[in-house]
Amino acid sequence: MIKLKNVYKNYGSLEVLKDVSLTVAQGEVVVIIGPSGSGKSTLLRTINGLETIEGGEVCIDDFLVHASEANLYKARQLTGMVFQQFNLFNHKNVLDNVTIGPIHVQNKSRAEAEEIAKALLIKVGLPEKAFVYPSKLSGGQQQRVAIARALAMHPQVMLFDEPTSALDPEMISEVLEVIKGLARDGMTMVVVTHEMGFAREVADRVVFMDEGVILEEAPPQEFFSNPKNERTRMFLSRILNH
Amino acid sequence: MQHLDFSVLIEYLPAIMDGLFMTIKISVMSIILGSIMGVGGALCRTSKSLLLRSIGNIYVEWIRNTPLLIQILFIYFGLGVFFNLSPMVASVLALSFFSGAYITEIIRAGIRSIHRGQREAALSIGMTEWQVMRLIILPQAIKRILPPLAGQFITLIKDSSLVSVIAVTDLTYVAKNIVTITFRAFEVWFAIAAFYFILSFGLSLAVRKLEERLAESD
Repeated sequence: MIKLKNVYKNYGSLEVLKDVSLTVAQGEVVVIIGPSGSGKSTLLRTINGLETIEGGEVCIDDFLVHASEANLYKARQLTGMVFQQFNLFNHKNVLDNVTIGPIHVQNKSRAEAEEIAKALLIKVGLPEKAFVYPSKLSGGQQQRVAIARALAMHPQVMLFDEPTSALDPEMISEVLEVIKGLARDGMTMVVVTHEMGFAREVADRVVFMDEGVILEEAPPQEFFSNPKNERTRMFLSRILNH
Repeated sequence: MQHLDFSVLIEYLPAIMDGLFMTIKISVMSIILGSIMGVGGALCRTSKSLLLRSIGNIYVEWIRNTPLLIQILFIYFGLGVFFNLSPMVASVLALSFFSGAYITEIIRAGIRSIHRGQREAALSIGMTEWQVMRLIILPQAIKRILPPLAGQFITLIKDSSLVSVIAVTDLTYVAKNIVTITFRAFEVWFAIAAFYFILSFGLSLAVRKLEERLAESD
């Protein structure tokens, strides 16, 4: 489904991704963890071309994401992204946030788009908020709307960039529940997160990144009970024993 | 010393109304054209293309660093050598170019004030750059810049009095004529000032109402 091959990315002289390769199969849930600044968000953002790359290639199915402008737009229609800061369109109510993609990008009729949106708002548990503006919602509710907005485009892959990092603790589980539901439905997902319990429960594979390099990848059972890399062990002990 | 006598104004009220109408006409047309130029200018100034950015810069700096009066005279008499511009057309052009430069800067500031996450979210659902600008960035930016934009429109209404120098029969031009005939300088200029005040203050109130309505999503 997704294939990253020897991807390089720099910001000026700072190398953010160094020769990163990763494959994600159809229906697979891959969770990326690692210290901040390790390049995990950047990695995620190269998949839908929000970040350019300096070397290597990123494929979704058979086409190269970074090969042309047209491919970029195609990649973004095949992928849905959920951001740490939600990034809902503040001037649009919840329903319009979810329908704007289907209407303006996929040229669906408003009626058709609203039907999709209403079903998705039920799915994320917010049908009564359709006509509310984002500023009136809690963080957890905003993030669930953001997930609905991404799903409205019928993506093949969902990319989650620290979806719970900006949330108050009591709201984390409502968002994670929605993401777990997607996993059960068989959605292909790449999730950058610090939620180790979530990774353990939902991931098919956990990937550990540090300093722009993938150091280790393994199924969660093996990853958490028997990490092979020294830096993975240090990271896990710091995160799990606080 | 002469006594104040505002009754002389009554006789000239039809002429004043004509002048008022001309001022409104020129102002409205310049506000519309100037806003279009402002959006265009702001898109140039925030463009990825160096050429467009340079054009935007030259436009803004050229207009902001020369007096409006000279711009009006240049467009009417200067460009008048090559094109046959009526005073009215020359005025609207001059005022639009002038306010457009300031509106460019206001809109540009508005665009830059929108968090980049809005753009990224819009791109991530597959929008083109132009859709992102039109559907996501500009609507939010314009809401945010309404107060300075209103200030610019009010400035434009007041600055439109300068076009009387090229014989546009606006409020100011009419007033000058009435003063010449009646010698009632105090009464006439006081009344004319009041008319400008009503126009400007009325616009400012209207924008405030609009702001309140748009505040719904805050």
